[in-house]
Amino acid sequence: MATTTATLTLASADLTSDSLSLTASTTLYKAGTTIGLDQTTGLSKKVYAAAQTNATLISAGDYTDNTAGRLFIRNVGSSTTDYFTITIASGNSVIGRLYGGDWLFIPYEGEEDIDISSSGTSMELEFMVIHEA
Amino acid sequence: MATTTATITINSTDLLTDELSLSTTSTLYDGPDFSTGLSRMKVTATAAGSSATTIYTADDFAAIAYLYVKNTDATSTDYIYIYDDTTSGDPVVLKLAGGDWAYMPLIADKTLRAYATTNPTTIEFMVIGTDQ
Repeated sequence: MATTTATLTLASADLTSDSLSLTASTTLYKAGTTIGLDQTTGLSKKVYAAAQTNATLISAGDYTDNTAGRLFIRNVGSSTTDYFTITIASGNSVIGRLYGGDWLFIPYEGEEDIDISSSGTSMELEFMVIHEA
Repeated sequence: MATTTATITINSTDLLTDELSLSTTSTLYDGPDFSTGLSRMKVTATAAGSSATTIYTADDFAAIAYLYVKNTDATSTDYIYIYDDTTSGDPVVLKLAGGDWAYMPLIADKTLRAYATTNPTTIEFMVIGTDQ
């Protein structure tokens, strides 16, 4: 059994008059258990030479349904104008946009494809799925 | 314009034979200077509908906003579901097990609401964005 932890720190000295210093940490377990997730895609990198529209990034067919995976995606670029749009394929429900340097970390059940669209050319992202069989 | 950073670290010494130690920090896009503040509420609804807890109301902020949300429950099977209340069919965007958190950008034009498998389940959340 592997032990993997994910920690978020949100910090700001000037967002409000009370400085923000929020930390949240979780150990990544299989669904409904305290057994650690033990499979991963590894940290993968993709370069999109051309602009994409709803291209499949994560194929649900590669994962078991109704599990407790986690998904990390990061726009590796530094552009403040070009972005990736991340979409849950079913119903094209948009999660959000990742501008240069932005990242997301969300649970992934393995039931829906995750698609990306890119606003420009020669854009790069990194992603990793940590999951269970 | 405020400066807010979000850092994630993912660590494991035994997931792979090569130690995993990923850390990245981003500065929130366009220096958003408004926040809902960190809220903590009991989610009492067990299905989508009018009694579900509102996490974010569509267009309160301009795009891009950022959502942090955590299911504070200690029982992993006490799930919280975050769904898109603006889109037909109320598609679920996040399913958070007890103890789980998520961080993601929002286009900010959809209302997000929460229901849980168990009444009540406590949720923490915050949206940081730019007023419009």
